[in-house]
Amino acid sequence: MLEIKNLHAGVDGKKILKGVNLIIKPGELHAIMGRNGSGKSTLANIITGRDHYEVMEGSVTYNGKDLLDMSPENRALSGIFMSFQYPVVIPGVNNTYFLRAALNAKLKHQGLKEMNGVDFMHLIREKLNRVQMDETYLTRAVNDGFSGGEKKRNEILQMLTLEPTFSILDETDSGLDIDALKIVANGVNNFRNNERSFLAITHYQRLLEYMEPDFIHVLFDGEIVKSGDKSLAIEIEKKGYSWLEK
Amino acid sequence: MSYLDQQFDALLKYWPDEDKNIRTLRTDSFDQFNTIGFPTRRWEEWQFTDFSKFIKKQYRLSWSEDLPSIPKSIPGLIPDLNFILIINGHYQSQLSALPDGVRVSTHLEDFNADQNIYTSGSNQNPFHVLNTAMMNSGVPIHIEPNQIIEKPIQIIYLTTDLSEPLMNHPRFHYHIGENSQATIVEHYIGLSDQPYFVNSVSHATIGKNASFNHVRIQEETESASHIASTHYQLEIDARLNATHFSLGGELFRHDIQITFNGNGGDATLNGLCLTENHQHHDQHVTVDHQHDSCNSHQLFKYILGDKSSGVFNGKVIVRENTKQTDADQSNKNLLLSPAALMNANPQLEIYSEDVKCSHGSTTGQIDSEALFYMRSRGLTQRKATELIIGGFAEEIMKSISNENISDYINEKINQWLRSSNNDD
Repeated sequence: MLEIKNLHAGVDGKKILKGVNLIIKPGELHAIMGRNGSGKSTLANIITGRDHYEVMEGSVTYNGKDLLDMSPENRALSGIFMSFQYPVVIPGVNNTYFLRAALNAKLKHQGLKEMNGVDFMHLIREKLNRVQMDETYLTRAVNDGFSGGEKKRNEILQMLTLEPTFSILDETDSGLDIDALKIVANGVNNFRNNERSFLAITHYQRLLEYMEPDFIHVLFDGEIVKSGDKSLAIEIEKKGYSWLEK
Repeated sequence: MSYLDQQFDALLKYWPDEDKNIRTLRTDSFDQFNTIGFPTRRWEEWQFTDFSKFIKKQYRLSWSEDLPSIPKSIPGLIPDLNFILIINGHYQSQLSALPDGVRVSTHLEDFNADQNIYTSGSNQNPFHVLNTAMMNSGVPIHIEPNQIIEKPIQIIYLTTDLSEPLMNHPRFHYHIGENSQATIVEHYIGLSDQPYFVNSVSHATIGKNASFNHVRIQEETESASHIASTHYQLEIDARLNATHFSLGGELFRHDIQITFNGNGGDATLNGLCLTENHQHHDQHVTVDHQHDSCNSHQLFKYILGDKSSGVFNGKVIVRENTKQTDADQSNKNLLLSPAALMNANPQLEIYSEDVKCSHGSTTGQIDSEALFYMRSRGLTQRKATELIIGGFAEEIMKSISNENISDYINEKINQWLRSSNNDD
């Protein structure tokens, strides 16, 4: 369970989040909506531990552990995952090798046996199928030469393989055509169960048509100004954000 | 009298019965060396490399009494290759194994066949000239015409643990016969903590429609000064695929030339340098297009840690009235430390209109976004750094098709990554 209490945070000395409170329980999918600059990405960066982001006040705990004290890799090993808005190209590093190294780091952390190449290939082929990616993926470098849609599907593929318990989907719908959006949403939906929770960050309501949230929060100027169920997204679609802004 | 004068005299006395023409070549070259002298930083082509410390050292030529007992396991031996073993400058023919179609000859035979090889490509380079004066090791290797030599030939040029500073001037000539195909690994490896000096010259003549794969591995210790010249000459329709990998030596300077002697030649030259501590690696490449329909591709990458420094100077010349030249040159560098330094200078000199040429150079640090991306998947900073650097090197490693050779070099890269403290 992720618990954010009175979070004040920013980057390079500039305060962006001004007292965010949020509790995400196992099995829940929360969506954070808001205009550009409202602090959505800052929240994601604070949870995952990106450099240069600083917390001025408040706390973020995950299953009772203080997340803010942990390195990005330890957060990942504890079950936190982020599907990046802009997945990074890593030239010369093979997808298969990278993903297997990440999975084995996690298995090792959990005290489990690391996976050999053959078993991993079985696993990855099955996962590839779920996001409708072909096998050429296996020989390519991480995100190198990938189209926008392929990059986002690769993020979901990594999520399905690493099986995190808490996943942030940072603008996972941006830059996707409707077919790719359906594949991505399907991947997430099939992955949902009563233990895994999600935080979907988006400024379009479209994603939420395919991926049903339990709660929706509207972030404005670093604060959650409105929370509700999925009907809130429909209301925002009709009326825009201005009625929610102070 | 300088130590070099003494060593040169000693060399002449050591081989009193040497052929008089070779003797003349040596003395002429030594006179030429004395006229030119060691490079200073005022010389344009040498300005980024400081020889002042090197010049103060003194080295003795290696004689037969410097041949140690043969080590039980030969360092650097790559599995399943043919090989030629040279220890402290001494060719161990009884320990070498060569296939049919490959022949080792003598410098006397090579000299009598074509004297020009000994002076071509020297370009007033004092080290090239000094090698010609003092060459004391290395062999000419002949690949007979119409031969496909499947198994690569590895030359191991080993410097063992020395008790005093020694120098060697290896001279390799590769004659790749018409329509033949061969891979030669020229591998320098050192074990000595004593200062030592290796001054090599290699000359490859790639015959009509022949294919030559050349892998050069330089893994001297950091006590070594390794200076080298390599000249590739391509006849009509000849192909060269050269990969140069260097991680050793306190001071490393390599002048590489590619000359097309006929139309239709195709040359790929890739290089990877790994440096740390106070190492300095300087590579100068000249590709001379003076015939039609020749291609040349160059990619040189440097990975520099600590206070090490690198120089890449690449020049592509396309002569007047040549047609259909396709040449590119790229240099990419990764600085792992704020104190590491790179000087890059890619140059094009184009005197013809019918060309397709490109060149470029980039120098940067480890991409912090990539680092965070990998850490967010659970990899440690160290592992992520290793993967990023390994990925950077991968582009060069792709050009080596023999897996045993690329495995060997990859293992060296991994060892280097694991031992360096560059990720702090």
